[in-house]
Amino acid sequence: MTVVLDTRDDFTLANFRRVCYGGEAVQLGEQARRALAAAGRGGTPPGEAGAASARAAPAGAGSADSGGRYLDEAVVRGILFARLAGCVSGHTAVRLTAAERVAALLGSPAPRVPSGGPAGPDEAAVMAAALAGVRRDDLGEAERRALAEPAPCPAALAADTALRSRHRLESAQAICALSIEAFGAPLGAYDAALDDLWGDAHEAAVLRALRRHLDGAGTDGRRFHQAPVSYRIIPRVLGQAHRAVAAVEKAAATALRAVTGDVLLAGRVLPNGGFHNGMAYPAMNALSAAWADLALIAERQVTALNTAETSGLPVNLAVPGAPTGTYAYGWAASSYAEEARAAAAPALLPAAACDPRSDVLSPAFSAHRRERRAAECLDGVFAILVIVCSQALFVTNRSPAGPLRPLLSFARSVFPPIDGTGVRDLSADGQSLQQALAAAAVTGRLGSTAP
Amino acid sequence: MTVVINGRDDFTLENYRRVSEVGEPVAIGPRAREAMGAARADFIRLLESDRTQFIYGVTSSLGPHAKVTIPPEQQRAHARAFEFRGNWARGFGGGYLDERVVRGIIFARLANFVAGNSKARPVIAERLAALLDGPLPPVPLDGEVGAGEALPLAHVLRGFRLDDLEEGEANPVVNGSPVSAALAADAALRAAPRLDRAERALALSAAAFGVPADAYAEELGELWGDADEAAALAALRRHLSGMSPGRRQAGPVPASYLILGRVLGQAHRAVAGLTEAARVSLRSVTDNPVYLPPDAAHPLGQAFSTGGFHNAMVYPALNALAAVWADLTLLAGRHVTALRAADPAAGPGPELSALAEEARAAAMPTLLPAAVNDPQDDVSSPAFGAYRREATAAECLDRAIALLAGEAGRALDAAGRRPAPPVRDPLQRVRAARKGPDPA
Repeated sequence: MTVVLDTRDDFTLANFRRVCYGGEAVQLGEQARRALAAAGRGGTPPGEAGAASARAAPAGAGSADSGGRYLDEAVVRGILFARLAGCVSGHTAVRLTAAERVAALLGSPAPRVPSGGPAGPDEAAVMAAALAGVRRDDLGEAERRALAEPAPCPAALAADTALRSRHRLESAQAICALSIEAFGAPLGAYDAALDDLWGDAHEAAVLRALRRHLDGAGTDGRRFHQAPVSYRIIPRVLGQAHRAVAAVEKAAATALRAVTGDVLLAGRVLPNGGFHNGMAYPAMNALSAAWADLALIAERQVTALNTAETSGLPVNLAVPGAPTGTYAYGWAASSYAEEARAAAAPALLPAAACDPRSDVLSPAFSAHRRERRAAECLDGVFAILVIVCSQALFVTNRSPAGPLRPLLSFARSVFPPIDGTGVRDLSADGQSLQQALAAAAVTGRLGSTAP
Repeated sequence: MTVVINGRDDFTLENYRRVSEVGEPVAIGPRAREAMGAARADFIRLLESDRTQFIYGVTSSLGPHAKVTIPPEQQRAHARAFEFRGNWARGFGGGYLDERVVRGIIFARLANFVAGNSKARPVIAERLAALLDGPLPPVPLDGEVGAGEALPLAHVLRGFRLDDLEEGEANPVVNGSPVSAALAADAALRAAPRLDRAERALALSAAAFGVPADAYAEELGELWGDADEAAALAALRRHLSGMSPGRRQAGPVPASYLILGRVLGQAHRAVAGLTEAARVSLRSVTDNPVYLPPDAAHPLGQAFSTGGFHNAMVYPALNALAAVWADLTLLAGRHVTALRAADPAAGPGPELSALAEEARAAAMPTLLPAAVNDPQDDVSSPAFGAYRREATAAECLDRAIALLAGEAGRALDAAGRRPAPPVRDPLQRVRAARKGPDPA
């Protein structure tokens, strides 16, 4: 399939997914072609060197030290996709020919763009590397600068984050519901009355999701007294994650369709600060913090399940032949939680100034890298929580509520219960589950749990 | 005037301001008294139907001893022995909450009661409201992080009469999350004026540098497509309107001026986020256990345990605001550097660098605390830490924008230009105060 781009409204998260994850090509529609042709009729825009050029690097400048690593192809494709958003309305110096050349890049494998080593890449260098395949020797100076303007970087990073975070949150809700079942926590803490009593739309959405997962959950064997704090506050902590996901989705949706760089309006050039995205990196920061808090909650639940005095479950959730059961996973969970907390240090406007003109740089790549790390750690601690929940249900011969059974079956297909038979590499099995959670963040498919 | 509260919808930011800052008293209205009286009678019927059922803090002990049941004949004494006053007030040091915030906590506390979800008699709510008529105890800022908000509430409630409480009336006084609600409301009420002051100072700086007005053109609001950035651009244009044209500095405009609309847009977003967190939190029922009045399926009503005592919305909103203040403090420093580019005399640059670094340190987010109290109370609330860090970052910004306004005025004087009317008066105040903390 091909995504047809006619107006800025075509630069949606759904189309981003098709182009960047699905590998679909793009085609400029008739409306866009007319706007781009009109933009070119005035010739190369006059005026002073545009603001965007403050952060634009010359072609070939993408040779910064990569540390041997490269940006994900989906992110590079996303940068090229987002580049076109500013063009299709004819508000920039980019004309039809140049826009077609950018669009053509999406019809083939994306160029390799260095990820910049430990410091991360510079946005201007990334733009130069991403556009290295675009012929520019017949373009005017203003058009070259408009192509290289760096705002598509944070737009693509926010969109990449948004697309992974929605499904990751859905998995988190399902796993927390499984944990509620494994622990036998009372269900009043997720009652429908709380939707209104707390009065927050995000917390209400989470409460509804938890109740869907717990539909049909029985009361037999459930503890009569209240569960530990980490179980009762789950709707509120997940609610904050829900809020953070919504914020990064909004940041992405806004950035993808924004016209950035020097703007052409009624024959005049408006140099402006559009090249700096002030919304994406705070949204990614907030998401990292939400993941870190969720990781801590999951670690606490792992500890609660593993502690017989708290859970009332068998010591270490062990069976004969495997006396340590899932005990050591609590320690591993602590390490993931700590790493997630470290990754939640926010990316702020960098303290160092590049030069008197480019005196504020963008922290978007830092924020993206930290969010990825926090998410990776969250996947790790949630993999452990799933393992421990599965074991808790196994050693007590219980089944969770119906909607959670596909998730449990899937988890056990990757990580069977520790039953004391055979020789297993529990580290490798755990990593497989972590990787499955990471994959589900993109695909949305994790054991066909309730959405 | 007196703020009369009849329902949860009366717990608005405006009423909070009247009680907290203006010092108005609170009266429990007739509809609230009626609702509480009816709910109390319903709850007693529920309790009497089976005094061995689990109702946290009523038929059970507390915290890590929640599984310990309280015999029926001891349940009233249990309510009166609830040690939420002096014995639970353990924090010390770090200074104290402003009394206006303590008033705000008491106001927010009442939201639990007015619809009957607290299961307490009206007299308990009236007694709480009466605390606002006298001096309030100091609440230390250090040592207040624990599960829920019982630690700071124990300080707030030092003067609360305890000896006539009945079953189920102790927990609603000390459980829930009214402290987070008050901290959010207090910070929100200060955030909007602070942002306005920052916008004025930054606009003054843009005028002094001679940034072309097109950099903040109205059309950019639509092209960027974000309401908060559009609002920031509009504010900049408003502050710059009437400015005499002129360009003090030769050469290109630094990025720190061009991106003002985008960075201030994020500040608008963060202020709105905190305001929304305060709005929602003030009217929330967060008690544990919470009581629901009778319905068809539950003719006696229900009382069950929840996690309402943990507010997960306020501390991230405070974190976001602290980060915004840090970024704006950095921008103020960049502006001063740009304004003094051709001036070899020492300026406030070193102080601004230090302020930016302090603000950035304060912008490190408060997360759920890593330490565990006990296996039952295994997650604590970080709201106090977030409130303090936001306040520190705000203090740095206040000082930075005062310095920036002074530098911008100096630059305008040197060029023989006058600032636009909207920023002229604040500038005059800055000049009068020399290095005052607040240019507006």
